[in-house]
Amino acid sequence: MKDPGKQIEEQAKELFDGSVEKLDAATLSRLNQGRHRALEELRRPGVVHLGRFAPAAGVLAVAFVAAIVMRGPPNIDAGVNPVTATDFEMLLEADSLEMLEDLEFYSLLDAVDAEANGNVG
Amino acid sequence: MSACAGVFVVSCTREQSTGAMALQREQQLNRFLTEVERRALRIAEISVRDRDEALDLVQEAMIKLARNYAERPEGEWTPLFYRILQNGIRDWHRRQKVRNRVMVWFGRGTSTEDDYDPAANAPDPAGRSPEAQLQSSEAMQRLEVSVHALPNRQREAFMLRTFEGLDVAGTAVAMGCSEGSVKTHYSRAVHTLRDKLGDHWQ
Repeated sequence: MKDPGKQIEEQAKELFDGSVEKLDAATLSRLNQGRHRALEELRRPGVVHLGRFAPAAGVLAVAFVAAIVMRGPPNIDAGVNPVTATDFEMLLEADSLEMLEDLEFYSLLDAVDAEANGNVG
Repeated sequence: MSACAGVFVVSCTREQSTGAMALQREQQLNRFLTEVERRALRIAEISVRDRDEALDLVQEAMIKLARNYAERPEGEWTPLFYRILQNGIRDWHRRQKVRNRVMVWFGRGTSTEDDYDPAANAPDPAGRSPEAQLQSSEAMQRLEVSVHALPNRQREAFMLRTFEGLDVAGTAVAMGCSEGSVKTHYSRAVHTLRDKLGDHWQ
């Protein structure tokens, strides 16, 4: 004898499939239109597929935060100016992103400047 | 000069290759949506009991899939699509609750439950007699009412497993819960339906 639960599943599936087959032409046409609207999304210029850039953006963000953490808090006593909003704007400009790779170099420059100012003062 | 020409050729080849890949992806997505759209519509329709609303929900899910997940591997599309659709259905139910509360406040009820007629008057593609069609459509109507009456999560689990044929893992992704929860919801749904429909279907 068949398991009653299994029987319910099979009969439900059969009825459901029958109702799918019976969908009328007007409904099918509207589904077709909806599908084409969805496919147009793929062709729309300016649609940025974030999924493609998400890993690169993630790595960049982590590197940026790590660089700031490694650099530590600004040493105001040594005469180095704290990082200002303008510095961040410069760093975040699209064509200045390569600066992120040279943060260590710029930190060194800051340190050298501070040392020079200290010597002069 | 020849270096410039070389760069131009490489650039053109790369563009052609990207265009071909985009076209291929579009064809894959078209095939996928064509395959899934009718079942998705009926699943949405059983959930919200309104064909127009169900059509809107399915279209919205198709657009969101194309916009956000077209780049994902094809094998992931089915659970992702149903996850979007189920979220849409849940939002729809929330909006309906709010709307009904407002309508009750202003003294107007909704009559969608009474007006709904799930049996379409289309000719039977299987060529069954009117009596057989009537029996089948009555059985489907009973099934729809019973599935609709299930608690939301049980209804989702039952429809995704039985109607769409997703496995437990795929259903868990579509429902945004653990596989254990899917098994529990599904088992409870089958028991409830067996109790409700058993007498008619034995």
